[in-house]
Amino acid sequence: MARVQLSDLRKSFGQVQVIKGLDLDIADGEFVVFVGPSGCGKSTTLRIIAGLEDATSGAIRLDGRDVTRTRPADRGIAMVFQSYALFPHMTVADNIGFGLQLQKQDRALISRRVAEVAETLHLTPLLTRYPRELSGGQRQRVAIGRAIIRNPRVFLFDEPLSNLDAALRVQMRLEIARLHQGLGATMVYVTHDQVEAMTLADRIVVFNDGRIEQVGSPMDLYEHPENRFVAGFIGAPAMNFLPVRVLGTQLEVPGMATIPVPPGKEAATELGIRPEHLHVVDGLSADLSGEVELIERLGAETYAYVRVPGLPLDLTVRLPGETALRARSSIALKIDWTRAKWFNASGRVL
Amino acid sequence: MEQHNRFWRVVLLAAPLGVFGIFVLWPLFSSFYYSLTDWNGFDPNYSFVGFDNFAKIASDRLFLQAAINTAIWMVAAIVLPTTLGLALALLLDSRVLGARVFKSIFYLPICLSAVIVGQIWIWIYQADWGLLNTIITEVTGEKYKYAWLAKPDTALWSVIVAWSWQQTGLAMVIYLAGLTAIPGDLLEVCEIEGATPWQRFRRVVLPLLAPSTVVVVALSVINSLKGFDILYIMTGGGPFNSSDTLAMHMYNESFKKYLMGYGAAISVVLFLIAMAIIGLYFRQLRKVDRIYG
Amino acid sequence: MADLAPQGRFNPWPATIFVILCVLAVLFLLPTVGVLLSSVKTTRDISMGDLWSLPASLYLGNFAEVLGNPAVHRYFLNTVLVTLPATAVSITLGALAGYVFAKLPFRGSNALFLIIVAGMFFPPQVILVPLFRMFNGMGLIDTLWPVIIVHSALGLPICALMMRNFFATVPNALREAAIMEGASEWQVLTRVVLPLSLPALAVLATLQFTWIWNDFLWPLIFTQSDDKRTIMIGIVNLKGQYSVAWGVQGALSLVASLPTLLVFLFFQRFFIKGMTMGAVKG
Ligand SMILES: Nc1ncnc2c1ncn2[C@@H]1O[C@H](COP(=O)(O)OP(=O)(O)OP(=O)(O)O)[C@@H](O)[C@H]1O
Ligand SMILES: [Mg+2]
Repeated sequence: MARVQLSDLRKSFGQVQVIKGLDLDIADGEFVVFVGPSGCGKSTTLRIIAGLEDATSGAIRLDGRDVTRTRPADRGIAMVFQSYALFPHMTVADNIGFGLQLQKQDRALISRRVAEVAETLHLTPLLTRYPRELSGGQRQRVAIGRAIIRNPRVFLFDEPLSNLDAALRVQMRLEIARLHQGLGATMVYVTHDQVEAMTLADRIVVFNDGRIEQVGSPMDLYEHPENRFVAGFIGAPAMNFLPVRVLGTQLEVPGMATIPVPPGKEAATELGIRPEHLHVVDGLSADLSGEVELIERLGAETYAYVRVPGLPLDLTVRLPGETALRARSSIALKIDWTRAKWFNASGRVL
Repeated sequence: MEQHNRFWRVVLLAAPLGVFGIFVLWPLFSSFYYSLTDWNGFDPNYSFVGFDNFAKIASDRLFLQAAINTAIWMVAAIVLPTTLGLALALLLDSRVLGARVFKSIFYLPICLSAVIVGQIWIWIYQADWGLLNTIITEVTGEKYKYAWLAKPDTALWSVIVAWSWQQTGLAMVIYLAGLTAIPGDLLEVCEIEGATPWQRFRRVVLPLLAPSTVVVVALSVINSLKGFDILYIMTGGGPFNSSDTLAMHMYNESFKKYLMGYGAAISVVLFLIAMAIIGLYFRQLRKVDRIYG
Repeated sequence: MADLAPQGRFNPWPATIFVILCVLAVLFLLPTVGVLLSSVKTTRDISMGDLWSLPASLYLGNFAEVLGNPAVHRYFLNTVLVTLPATAVSITLGALAGYVFAKLPFRGSNALFLIIVAGMFFPPQVILVPLFRMFNGMGLIDTLWPVIIVHSALGLPICALMMRNFFATVPNALREAAIMEGASEWQVLTRVVLPLSLPALAVLATLQFTWIWNDFLWPLIFTQSDDKRTIMIGIVNLKGQYSVAWGVQGALSLVASLPTLLVFLFFQRFFIKGMTMGAVKG
């Protein structure tokens, strides 16, 4: 169990700087999830924490001890790879016990620990199999087993579930949550899956282009994004952005009647509304009206993509599952103004 | 679909199996047949002698010597180039400066034929002005000068050195390919789990190279069986049969003494030894297959 | 592989490895330098024991003699006439067999495959006598045909083994997709699977070319007249003609090795890919 601190971490590959100064403090036992667009440096950061890459500058501290120059093995860190990285020539038992075998631990002890770990991960009947004789989910559990056997202080997961099917993903997600509760270890987890991020994380770290945009609890990021990037990145489907223009005391939104500028939003250039904060109403009280371009029915809920004259992009609207709307029907929408976000020209939330 | 498959199997296999059957299997069985006769190679009249030729083998002093030499030759000619090739591959894999040039240098001898290699190494081992003795004389004086190819105790090993020099490059390129195929994350696991370089090599890299080893060993066996050429050129089996191998012995009995039947019997024994090696080889292959599919 | 040296400190390994490799490279080059030296010295110098010293002047007479000799031209032509067809045929046969074993397995196909692969593990001398008898009966002795045929047949096992392994890495779905599109098995092989196996073919072509080009046993057995001999026999025959014409022999050896060297240099870039595709599964 350990606290992980990154201070002014930077990393360049040749001339290209890919990590541009990270400061992050991860508390002991915390579950932190890294999200961000592809190529923004999540994996690189994880690998620097693991010691697989050297930081170009900056420092990593574990429980206050500087480990920036410490070898990976001496950091007490375990890592679970997206590709599982199981040794094809070793049985499940040997894969799990690999680390202990390297330390030349007593054989009886190793097999006892392997049995314990296999028990927690429901791997006991598979111990004598080779990796290629396992399913994806089983392989993933073996990889996790290899990580937990040494009682590491910190777990690093790089998109561990992205190769699994949807059902298994849910199952393994719960498994990992259970594991976190059971072990109480610090976990850092990279994912592209919003649901994973929202459900697993104590705190989410939003990366963009080698920098941290915002750190906060899942609901915090959802309710109070600090900028346009985070607002757009967190939440699925993504927030709708409408260009606005302030003219004196009046605010102009394309496709909408002008309204008075709300207090404190004089610098606004953009308005953000989540799909769940647009409500279908009858024509009279509507803020916007348009035509449904496309309907996506997911069962429990339905997304409507609405074309509004004057708006550059379709609006996404979240509706209940059993809506009677069809493509091409006209629709009138009311904005939940209390939940609306306002952004200035540089993307800051007002 | 099954009918379609059956049709194409026949069409596609006809030529390869035909060629293999006529020009490899059939002569092989003929050899077995001749081993039971006293044929001399040209006389159309020969008689069936049962297992006499094999009984004669048991009392053939030279045969025993040749069999031992064959064993030494096969093992050394497989093990030495393979280990050396692996070592070179490991050194080259660390992205050292000029790796491409080094690779070509180490591979170069493969491009040379046994005839040429044999001649070069005769010049190296030459007793009076050969390169080896020249260097030895420079360093230690005349004391350790030696007629490497002309002395029974060094002749076979001298040829094995020449052979290893030639064959190492092949093992090296195959292992280099194998090393690049090892997924990087497996090596990173070693780092995280704290494997020492030796543990990493012994427990991860070497086992993961097993498919390469299968190929290297197969090629080494094939080549070492062809090693007749280089022995023939460098020592001709001498001196005093000290570098005689079964292939050479068989050649001598068949084509110099015209004892084709006896020669065929020797080749049958040689064949059986080779089969035993294949048995071991295939057992290993099955294990590799289970792991790597 | 990532290096394991402690980070941030001076890492002595690359330099050490470089030095080791340099030393080994010199050792490996020495014998080849011997051939080079012999080719630029007179036979007289060499027979007086003056081979391993650096030459005071380059003597190019050996090359002139080799390149101007019509017999040598004939040797070269014969070797090409043997090597190219035998390489092509053995790889073709190996590809056909390998395709069936990889993509159309049947009951007993594994056993059959083992028998064929076993074919590469016996010493070729074993079948020398029966083959001689067979070709003699066909009236083909002292032509290039037996040499081509034997190389094709003996190359088949290794080609079948490697091609099967290469083909096994080509996903079955590709074959099935092509068949759904109406391709025949032959078209699957020639249009889909083989183009994907080009690096593998390059590796096999290099190996087969080298082995057949350098072979000495089979042309020795099956050809007799000088205008049917191949280059390797030619080199050895030089011994016979002028007692030991070492200088000329060295020059001829050098010239005779050029084709295999060029083939390797040309196909070298496919080697890693070809080998990893077929040989190194997983
Ligand atoms: N070894 C390397 N050499 C050069 N550039 C690299 C290297 N590794 C990563 N990069 C670059 O660094 C940037 C960050 O890569 P990283 O793998 O951390 O992204 P990521 O956030 O994990 O993306 P993804 O979500 O797609 O996994 C990318 O632009 C990538 O191209
Ligand atoms: Mg990544």
